[in-house]
Amino acid sequence: MNKQERSRHYQDRVRKSLQKPHLQDTLHRFADAYVAAREAAFAGHDFEALRVAIGEMKDQVRDNLSRYQAEFVANAEAAGATVFLAQNASEANAYICNLAKERGVKKVVKSKSMASEETHLNRALNEADIETLETDLGEWILQLSGERPSHMVMPAIHMLKEEVAELFSEVTGKEEPAEIPHLVRLARKQLRQAYLDADMGITGANVAIAETGGIALVTNEGNARLTTTLPKIHVALVGLEKLVPTIEDANRIINVLPKNATGQLITSYITWIRGAVPCADESKELHIVLLDNGRTALAESPHCRDALRCIKCGACANVCPVYQTVGGHVFGHVYISAIGVILTAFFHGLDNAAELVRACIGCRSCVAICPSNIDLESIILHLREVIGEEEGVGAGKSLVFKQVMRNRKLFHGMLRAASLLQKPLTRGERTIRHLPLFFSGLTDWRTLPAIADKPLRDLWVNIPQKIDKPRYRVAFFAGCLNDFVYPEMGLDLVKVLNHLNVEVTFPMEQSCCGVPALYSGDRGTAVAMAEQNLDALLQDNPDYVITSCPTCTMALQRDFTDLLKDNPVWAEKAQRLAAITLDVSRFIVDKLDGKALFADASGGEKVTYHDSCHLKRGAGVWEQPRQLLSDSGHELTEMAHSDRCCGFGGSYSFTSHPDIAREILGDKIQDINASGASCVAMDCPGCLMQIRGGLEKQEIAVRAKHTIELLAETLS
Amino acid sequence: MPNQLVAQFTLAAENVGAEVHAIADQQELTAYLGKRIDGPLLLAPCPSLERLDLPQVMEQAGLNVVIDNFREQGAVAVAGLTGANFGIAATGTVVLESTAEAVRIATTLPEKHFVLLDPQKILETADQAVPLLHKFHQQLPQAYLAYISGPSRTADIERVLTIGVHGPSELHILLMEGLSDDPMER
Ligand code: SF4
Repeated sequence: MNKQERSRHYQDRVRKSLQKPHLQDTLHRFADAYVAAREAAFAGHDFEALRVAIGEMKDQVRDNLSRYQAEFVANAEAAGATVFLAQNASEANAYICNLAKERGVKKVVKSKSMASEETHLNRALNEADIETLETDLGEWILQLSGERPSHMVMPAIHMLKEEVAELFSEVTGKEEPAEIPHLVRLARKQLRQAYLDADMGITGANVAIAETGGIALVTNEGNARLTTTLPKIHVALVGLEKLVPTIEDANRIINVLPKNATGQLITSYITWIRGAVPCADESKELHIVLLDNGRTALAESPHCRDALRCIKCGACANVCPVYQTVGGHVFGHVYISAIGVILTAFFHGLDNAAELVRACIGCRSCVAICPSNIDLESIILHLREVIGEEEGVGAGKSLVFKQVMRNRKLFHGMLRAASLLQKPLTRGERTIRHLPLFFSGLTDWRTLPAIADKPLRDLWVNIPQKIDKPRYRVAFFAGCLNDFVYPEMGLDLVKVLNHLNVEVTFPMEQSCCGVPALYSGDRGTAVAMAEQNLDALLQDNPDYVITSCPTCTMALQRDFTDLLKDNPVWAEKAQRLAAITLDVSRFIVDKLDGKALFADASGGEKVTYHDSCHLKRGAGVWEQPRQLLSDSGHELTEMAHSDRCCGFGGSYSFTSHPDIAREILGDKIQDINASGASCVAMDCPGCLMQIRGGLEKQEIAVRAKHTIELLAETLS
Repeated sequence: MPNQLVAQFTLAAENVGAEVHAIADQQELTAYLGKRIDGPLLLAPCPSLERLDLPQVMEQAGLNVVIDNFREQGAVAVAGLTGANFGIAATGTVVLESTAEAVRIATTLPEKHFVLLDPQKILETADQAVPLLHKFHQQLPQAYLAYISGPSRTADIERVLTIGVHGPSELHILLMEGLSDDPMER
């Protein structure tokens, strides 16, 4: 399939999934229930400490993989198991098929194993004329429907009970009612005899323990216990990343896994199996197939290898707004959601991952929930660069990034020109309500702000700043939106900071932070922008560099240092800038003791707060703006899902995935509306563009404001 | 504080759908079982159960006790009776050294699982079980160890929690004092 075709197919799948409202309903309801159950399950535990420990342990295994592997093999074989190391999927499948043929196996029962999905083992066994039966309820349903799992832990979460009843009716040959207890009983009855008849049982493993040579299985249904007990042959297909050094380490994972996967304190069954245990009157024949299939390559990739820490809890899907909108059949290949994007690239090839890499909106909710401490978003960003280099970032984008954005004067000149060109569309208003023809898709669900007549940089010289003895001199990094779309926000920022006795400068050579290029996979342009901005911002030696856009904050704090870390001249500058960069709310609260300074302000409005993804989960700021809002006299009321993405994501909502962005915005607007507030505050001009646009389009009378605007209001 | 541990264990086990009852002696046990089963009962091998002379007592009470040939009997048995090596209070878990196939069949195939546990052998957390797991692995060249918390469950259809899919749909934990103070017994 060529690239265009692939994209078309993918867009088609997105469209189709959006036509299934019950899917979104199910996934949204699940997410809410999950978050609450998980919180209760972790009560009294220090999640941060737990996940740091798991990450460190897994890294230790990765760095000494051959040693732990050898230890595992020796101990497993001493206990009577046969261990086979499969380099790739076909080796694993061939080994298992041959074994089955040699032993005259006719029927195989399987308990859930993602590794066997990864290698398409069922297909291989069926081609070898061996009957396979999935015994996990969800997997069985999917075997009947011919689909792949849409979630790693709850494989059939996308299905309705009516659909299941239809499938089961085909099995029994009579109409089965769509009642869940009935369907579950039916599965029990139908599958029972298979355990007794099967000649081979196939399972995965949640951990493989080097010091014992044993595996452990974490399950709820009891099918894995039957699968490992009744058939005479047991084959465990185990990804190499499941290795852990000791029983303690296994226990550490088992403690966290059910809590983070489904909010259960523990699953019904934890099964520790070492060696060829008794079976009938003999010993069982146990084969352990250790699967590489891209894992050692992943271990070698400095940017991506943290993904090997994954314990397959599925939580990164649970909380992902994109997953919640389109489900795992679209946002996934075999492995789904954030971790799926990465594993697909290494296990199933870059081509299968290319569309998924772009489907991530970058909200970092997965990063916050991951029990293995994986910065999934950074790895996905890196893969986007790789794909950008392999496939190009698109001719149009490439031209804009390379020819225009890298040349600040040209870039800003074009933005000014655009301000004039848009005039017929805006009819003198501040927002674009309609775009002609082809582009109209972009405004039928939100209004878009017009580019300002005069950017902030042109207004700057005329802003009076009368401060005799400033407490600090800070440089303002405005970012494109503040500079060219919302210059008034810059004026408000000066007003507020001046009130707090801080002088603000505007280094004129500053330009776009480079994130649009970086997030599109054009690293070269991102590096060029980083260097330009570093020179501009550090020139006057400001006490701090203040931002009003958290994506810019992340660029200045994280991306610049990462982009330039191998360049000794620039690395030092990048670190210096990162150390003095602060978003404005945090600066006011943490550095200026803003609380006291707003003591007699009287806001008096009922305000709800939207946490911008990059502010909360990137910069770690969420308390400060809330504090400022209530200190300045507003009544703060929390909306549901306050830290869920608004669906902006820069070019995500304009060019790459506007249809998904629209759905995510719809959820946000609902939550804002339900909060009963008359104003929604936030600390990001991107979120502001998205949320204000959605509210206006739906004609909802709630003001959307940047926190700095509300603070400025209370001063006048 | 053993009583507090027992209370914590009971609450956690009930939270995951197990029933927990104190049982004084063989007679009470037989009566308890008699009210709940009407078919073959797999009596799994376990030293502390053997000391109770259960087959005899139960047969006298008219229970249909099966002590061998579990592979065939498992398919028709209605219940399994086992002894737990120890319990874990934080999660309401019973831990069974299940290397003998009979223990596994008695705890997987029948619809109901009755397990005897000496309340003395309740640990507070799973972390405290780790040294015991180490010991088992030292003593047993081949090992099959089972943590069981509540009945078999699934939420695979529309996330609705449903009990009793492939394993037992009932788990009865019967606390009986003086059974055994050795978590390693087998
Ligand atoms: S990446 Fe993290 S959150 Fe996602 S499945 Fe793996 S361990 Fe769970």
